[in-house]
Amino acid sequence: MTTNTTAKDATAGPSAPGETVLDARGVTMRFGGLTAVRGVDLTVNSGEIVGLIGPNGAGKTTFFNCLTGLYTPTEGEVRYKGTILPSQSFKVTAAGVARTFQNIRLFANMTVLENVLVGRHTRTKEGLWSALLRGPGFKKAEKASEERAMELLEFIGLAGKRDHLARNLPYGEQRKLEIARALASEPGLLLLDEPTAGMNPQETRATEELVFAIRDMGIAVLVIEHDMRFIFNLCDRVAVLVQGEKLVEGDSATVQGDERVVAAYLGEPFEDAPGQDEVAEVEAAEAQADAAPRKETDR
Amino acid sequence: MNELPQQLVNGLLLGSMYGLVAIGYTMVYGIVQLINFAHGEIFMTGAFGALTVYLYVLPDGTTMMIALPLMLVGAVLVSTTVAIGAERFAYRPLRGAPRLAPLITAIGLSLALQQAVWAWYPNAKSARTFPQIDGGPFHIGSVTIQTGDVFLFVAAPISMAILAYFVMKTRTGRGMQATAQDPDTAKLMGINTDRIIVVAFALGAAFAAVGGLAYGLKYGQIDFRMGFILGLKAFTAAVLGGIGNIYGAMIGGLVLGLAETMATAYIADVPGMEQLGGQSWANVWAFVLLILVLLFRPQGLLGERVADRA
Amino acid sequence: MTTQTSTPQTPAKEPTGSGTGLVGIPPHLGRALATGGGILTIASAFLAWTWTAAFPGDLTVYGYPGGLQVLVLIGGALTTLFGLASYGVKGLRWLTPAGADSAIKLAALAAFATAWYTVLSIATELGGLANLEPGGWVAAVATLTALLGALSLPFQRPAPDPTDPDDTGWEQFRHRLRHTGTVVKAAFASGTTAPPTRKLPAYAEILVIIAALTLGLIVFTYGIGTEYDEQFIGFLITAGFGFAAASKAGLVNRVSALTGKHRNVTMIGAFVAAAAFPFTQSDDQYATIGVYILIFATVALGLNIVVGLAGLLDLGYVAFLGVGAYTAAMVSGSPSSPFDLHLPFWAAALLGAAVAMVFGVLIGAPTLRLRGDYLAIVTLGFGEIFRIGVLNMDGTSGPDITNGSNGISSIPNLDILGFDFGQEHTFAGFTIARFANYFLLMLLITLVVVVVFRRSGDSRIGRAWVAIREDETAALAMGINGFRVKLIAFALGAALAGLAGSVQAHVTYTVTPEQYQFAHVVPPNSAFLLAAVVLGGMGTISGPLVGAALLYLIPAKLQFLGDYQLLAFGLALVLLMRFRPEGLIPNRRRQLEFHEEAEAPTVLSKAGA
Repeated sequence: MTTNTTAKDATAGPSAPGETVLDARGVTMRFGGLTAVRGVDLTVNSGEIVGLIGPNGAGKTTFFNCLTGLYTPTEGEVRYKGTILPSQSFKVTAAGVARTFQNIRLFANMTVLENVLVGRHTRTKEGLWSALLRGPGFKKAEKASEERAMELLEFIGLAGKRDHLARNLPYGEQRKLEIARALASEPGLLLLDEPTAGMNPQETRATEELVFAIRDMGIAVLVIEHDMRFIFNLCDRVAVLVQGEKLVEGDSATVQGDERVVAAYLGEPFEDAPGQDEVAEVEAAEAQADAAPRKETDR
Repeated sequence: MNELPQQLVNGLLLGSMYGLVAIGYTMVYGIVQLINFAHGEIFMTGAFGALTVYLYVLPDGTTMMIALPLMLVGAVLVSTTVAIGAERFAYRPLRGAPRLAPLITAIGLSLALQQAVWAWYPNAKSARTFPQIDGGPFHIGSVTIQTGDVFLFVAAPISMAILAYFVMKTRTGRGMQATAQDPDTAKLMGINTDRIIVVAFALGAAFAAVGGLAYGLKYGQIDFRMGFILGLKAFTAAVLGGIGNIYGAMIGGLVLGLAETMATAYIADVPGMEQLGGQSWANVWAFVLLILVLLFRPQGLLGERVADRA
Repeated sequence: MTTQTSTPQTPAKEPTGSGTGLVGIPPHLGRALATGGGILTIASAFLAWTWTAAFPGDLTVYGYPGGLQVLVLIGGALTTLFGLASYGVKGLRWLTPAGADSAIKLAALAAFATAWYTVLSIATELGGLANLEPGGWVAAVATLTALLGALSLPFQRPAPDPTDPDDTGWEQFRHRLRHTGTVVKAAFASGTTAPPTRKLPAYAEILVIIAALTLGLIVFTYGIGTEYDEQFIGFLITAGFGFAAASKAGLVNRVSALTGKHRNVTMIGAFVAAAAFPFTQSDDQYATIGVYILIFATVALGLNIVVGLAGLLDLGYVAFLGVGAYTAAMVSGSPSSPFDLHLPFWAAALLGAAVAMVFGVLIGAPTLRLRGDYLAIVTLGFGEIFRIGVLNMDGTSGPDITNGSNGISSIPNLDILGFDFGQEHTFAGFTIARFANYFLLMLLITLVVVVVFRRSGDSRIGRAWVAIREDETAALAMGINGFRVKLIAFALGAALAGLAGSVQAHVTYTVTPEQYQFAHVVPPNSAFLLAAVVLGGMGTISGPLVGAALLYLIPAKLQFLGDYQLLAFGLALVLLMRFRPEGLIPNRRRQLEFHEEAEAPTVLSKAGA
């Protein structure tokens, strides 16, 4: 696969193994009186897939937005490959961090190919004059962009629909297109915000494969998700965010076993909750009812 | 007449008129993110409504003391009718459309209203005289206040008080705040957002009508074009104060009025700008103020209050 | 265990489009009536319709159609043409890839409306039906017959939405009304497009393009050359319905696809056709209108980059035209200019564009970082401030730069390489006078703007503009520097307007503040410019050009509207946004933005327009 990188930033693009790609320290985000993210540390190394989970409203997307320049963190700093990330989202992408969105934000009325070409924007530099004068440099650049875009479309399996309007794609393909568009900016770190939301099991498996393939390309991945099986299949490490704080971080066993995580998702047992004995009683009664002959009832 | 206290008072009075009109812009923008270009014309129709009451409804020779409240009613009736009609037939069908569509509709409506008055209102091709309150000007210290301005002096603070009470204490008012912050959630809470929007338009129009009546009393005449520039300046005031923020609208109006009056009176004293004083440059200074605000404090003096349309 | 038995219910049969027409005549008869009616309409055009020449256009002569009769003749011809095509006459099927039935209806409507308008105008203006000659009656009957016949043609009736029994009487009425509307719309809808049976060789395709361009030129010239109100109204009716008919027949799309394939040929052809225009005129009067339309259209096209491509709301665009015009005027040797300069044209033009661009950057830099609505207000303000500033700088209220309300006058004519634009010149038997000269010059500028539009639109920056317009947050996340990209669009638009302004200054001899208002009866002005772009269709090339032409001609030709012109304009804007916000010549993408529920084509092909 050719990588045509006219990268503005030398650190963009896939990185050497073992390198710390993302280093977020003490990231805090306050909106007026509300603290959405509270002192979160997170690192992602190259070749890793890190998961970020937590109940709704825990601050995961807010944290993502802090990483990508959509919000400027009230406190803390975010470093990408050692350099502090600028606080404007387009500069963050130029530096090498790309993302997808929780609610799909494709350019609905542009074609599939055009969407990916827009993703190439930050790695190409032909400006207005070049477009107006149409010298050989322009034509070469456009051709190269198109080739690279087609490569990415083939990678995700949408090459046959290059001239289709993005809004006409089925939901699963729209998600894939968003990923391809993000990949077009040659990132070293890809942030995926709930990539399998609304997908059926087959599509989810396919997305798993896709993320593995992306990891194999040398791009580090940070994923927000609710689908636990997806997360634990995929991720080397998982961090849990609850009410803006990082509760625990570790591999899947550590996280799944942690009581606080369970409590955060399922809630604390309340006072009148049935104890073990009651539970056993109920189960016995149900078993009896199953065994007894049933009456015909008319619905 | 160049004395500072006089200029200050003039500026505040002018500014309160801007503020009254600005309220309408800011309320509508806060809820539906629409710059209601026709709002200046709503202001104008309010003024003409008042005039109509005086000329054609009330018997000749009615004293202003009795006529004034009735003229106010007339003004408010006309302006709110126009505003509600505009919302129902021109803007509501375009609720989901890309931003350009309602904006162009608003421009078209603005033009149509101007021309309708010009073409059909008796003798509106030139300015129409507006009745004045009898009595000499009042003197407070070194400051002279015309009778026309007294109305504004009284009406503006009362209007603001009514508005504040309405927004904070009544159910509809709180519904407006909710809709301004998050229309979808407001709907889920059972708030009839359609009705809220109508109320916003109507309220804005009512205050603009007060402003229109004040304008007529102050300048002694009204014409079909009075809404165009004033509307522009009122929107500037709304931005100045913080779009979506009704207190900001009034504050912005006062600041704009003061700035304009001060500039008109004193700029010529600044070396190098001798020829840039006077009424003919007044609008330019308002615009310059707008640019400065956008450059240095785009969220306005009191901060914006607009729903996040993301 | 419970068993649930339910009888399989046969689904209620949907009343499918039973294929009846709107009118109860059997279809075969209807089609014959339509086609025959068309022929009869043609014939009636050769008869006399009135006995007196008091009605303009001289409709009194047998055998010689004049004025409105020509238009009715065309309407009848179109009806006959489409009627014959629907019978499957060989060779004509090519014209109606999407089926001829709707086209017949619209063509018949064109003929009917024009004929009855004419007949009724004759009656009202001359005072009574007695003033009509038999020819007029024949025309009326023929067109009515044709229309009735056409309306009886079968079409796919949509099934009505189920009614809600809880609806009040008023709501039920509205429901029925809406359904009737849907049925009528369906009656005029296109059929499915059949694929072309045989691909044309390239030279044939180019011939088709040339034919289409020639037709366009003829229509345009006729439109400009109409001499009296009734003729112009008739022209609008015939042209409007005629175009609609061709569109429903699928012909417009077919030609559009061809122009898309041969874009450069089309562009060159269009310019040749446009350049031919002044030569077709024996009178400089129409070339004058032509120049003004061209200036207006070019500026509208520049605005199209700002509004149509990048989605920036510029409400004071005419000020940039003014800046360019004033700048050029001040350096072109006018006696009322404060500068004693007479630069050659190319320098004046470049200077005009440059100064306009500077102002564009000055206005855009603080505002483009903010929400788009602020740009609208700021540009509106700038438009007014420019006018006021230029008005005030007359030495009394301000420094004496622009000569106040008198403006810069007596700008000398251009003299480029010895070609004096003020003089008449003769080429191969054709004479072109002053305005024709400037027309050709302006055409070159238009060519530049068209090329700029196309090239910038179809490039990295063009895609960035569309992305910003579609979803700014996502665009930023893709690495697009939103502010920079928007500023480029804004400054480019300003520069192009300034360029056009430099020509305008020379054409109009004088530049005054009144020429640059927000809204005025005479274009160009900001409101009309915006309307031209929106009416014509944002994001396309031909859209603003057509929009500008229409918006210039309609107020100019329909003087009888008089006082109500701007009122009509305002109302028209409101209605346009309500019912067809994507404009006359929609960019397909744009149409999808406005009508979310519309069937989006799976593939967005590049249309020629």
